Amino acid sequence: MERRRRFGGSFVHELSRNRYLYLLALPGIAFLVVFAYMPMAGHLLAFQDYRLSDGIWGSEWVGFKNFEFFFNGKDWLRVTLNTVFLNALFLVTGLGSAVVLAIFLNEIRNRLFKRITQSFIFLPYFISWLVVSMMTLTLFSTSEGLINRALAALGYEGVDWYLMPSVWPYILTVISAWKIAGYNSIIFLAVITGISSEYYESARIEGASRMQQMLYITLPLMRPTVMILALLGIGRIFYGDFGMIYAIIGDNGILFPTTDVIDTYAFRALRQLGNFSMSAAVVVYQSCMGLVTILIFNAIARKVDADSRLF
Amino acid sequence: MRERLFLVLMYAVLGAFALFCFIPFWIVFINSFADESLLQTAGYQLLPSKFSLHAYKFLLSGKQVFLSYGITIIVTIAGTALGVLLTAAYAYTLSHRKVKYRHILSFLTFLTMLFGAGLVGFYMLIANWLHLKDSVWALILPYLLNPFYAFILVSYYRTLPYELNEAATVDGANDLYIFFRIIWPIALPVIATVSLFYALQYWNDWYLSLLFIDNHKMLPLQMMIRQLMSNLNVMAYVSGSQTQYNVVVPTYGMQLAIVCVTIGPIVFVYPFIQRFFIKGLTLGSVKG
Repeated sequence: MERRRRFGGSFVHELSRNRYLYLLALPGIAFLVVFAYMPMAGHLLAFQDYRLSDGIWGSEWVGFKNFEFFFNGKDWLRVTLNTVFLNALFLVTGLGSAVVLAIFLNEIRNRLFKRITQSFIFLPYFISWLVVSMMTLTLFSTSEGLINRALAALGYEGVDWYLMPSVWPYILTVISAWKIAGYNSIIFLAVITGISSEYYESARIEGASRMQQMLYITLPLMRPTVMILALLGIGRIFYGDFGMIYAIIGDNGILFPTTDVIDTYAFRALRQLGNFSMSAAVVVYQSCMGLVTILIFNAIARKVDADSRLF
Repeated sequence: MRERLFLVLMYAVLGAFALFCFIPFWIVFINSFADESLLQTAGYQLLPSKFSLHAYKFLLSGKQVFLSYGITIIVTIAGTALGVLLTAAYAYTLSHRKVKYRHILSFLTFLTMLFGAGLVGFYMLIANWLHLKDSVWALILPYLLNPFYAFILVSYYRTLPYELNEAATVDGANDLYIFFRIIWPIALPVIATVSLFYALQYWNDWYLSLLFIDNHKMLPLQMMIRQLMSNLNVMAYVSGSQTQYNVVVPTYGMQLAIVCVTIGPIVFVYPFIQRFFIKGLTLGSVKG
């Protein structure tokens, strides 16, 4: 009793002592409660047969029926594999190309060339996925696309790109690298710039070539940052980039076998079928897989390299 | 010799990648001025042989593009202003060593980055509980606090000397005064960077309008692109009137023209804001 009062007292005391600071944080706290924590109640719908008219507390509880339905269908494996496969491709090519760009940019001495290059490779980061999808169309459109026109000019048959599911994982990977590599390369460039020049000086005295300096100094010192970005990416490996995939693929069902991811699937269940419970079950599955993945990889990272872990 | 070859290779790779980044912009830009009949017969080209302003004239003759521009500008300005104010103030409390519960607050903020609320709960919150469908608030409110930008600000505030705070307190200033009159002006470069991030997010967003906007008068620019790409009856959509069959509708040209109209402001201010972004990114990455 005594303890509880003292605890409550110290809570109130803390709030009143720093009342202006808590006042500054109040809008932010309210935001988190309303927009981040309250919607988590939506996960409950996964265990219900949700009806809009009955509301979340009036609908019937059905246990794991929605999950059974999801896992008994043939879609769940397809969307899971697509999500993981696409994200893995995006992650490796996105980070890989950014590392290469950053190292090369760092070696370039011509200031003008460096500035122009950097401006161009950073530019795609600034536009929306819908704009990107329009650009994709100008390249891959069957009758008007630049690629098919070029093929025709060289005497080859045009290809119906938008009817070929097998090529899209790779097209999407290239687009993803195109959009994000410049952004990531600037992060890496900042890390490289932060490396003490003493390392390079002593390496030069020992007679190391530029290539050796790159391999044995720059790359190892970039590792923690690359690892953190990779971990963040792996933590989100079950979350497809909805903005990207829905903008570029849209409702083109022919391409679903290779491009339908968990997010687009959940979106269609919600917005086109109006099946709230099914959509919620998919999202709960996604959240659980995501959480487990990040815990596992964080543990691995902690073992391998303590500086690279997320938490 | 090998070093030299390697250097040439580096220039070639960087140059090729830069060109590869630039070409799609060029195609969209130059073909938006191409003659519609040329687009239909010869497709998109690197350098069209016949130019016309028809697509732009057609686009700007209707009301929709102005409505959409208005919505996008309102959402971007209001969202950025509110978001930055809220984030900067919230981050200040998280960074302040006098605040006992800052670790709990930080953890609860970080958690939202890892474990999302999910589509269904989010949709129900906006549509069914807050009743914000077809309202600009549905496009503004959800993005007001970005945890990542909050942490960029927290790490910056921590670099400021605590003596500033103590001196002001001794002079009788309260925390509100200290934040708005002392910390805010000092942190202005970082706050400006974060503002740019927010502005870009609001300008480019279409996810929220896809979910919550059905009334075409409320559609932001990005969704207008989507409508133009999928809607065959462009004429009726843009002008709001009945289709006039005696006019050739420049469908292809208009798709490109609206894209140019949308990214125009970004490309225009790009040279000025690029350095800010780089500064902000650098801050975020050093924090780690």
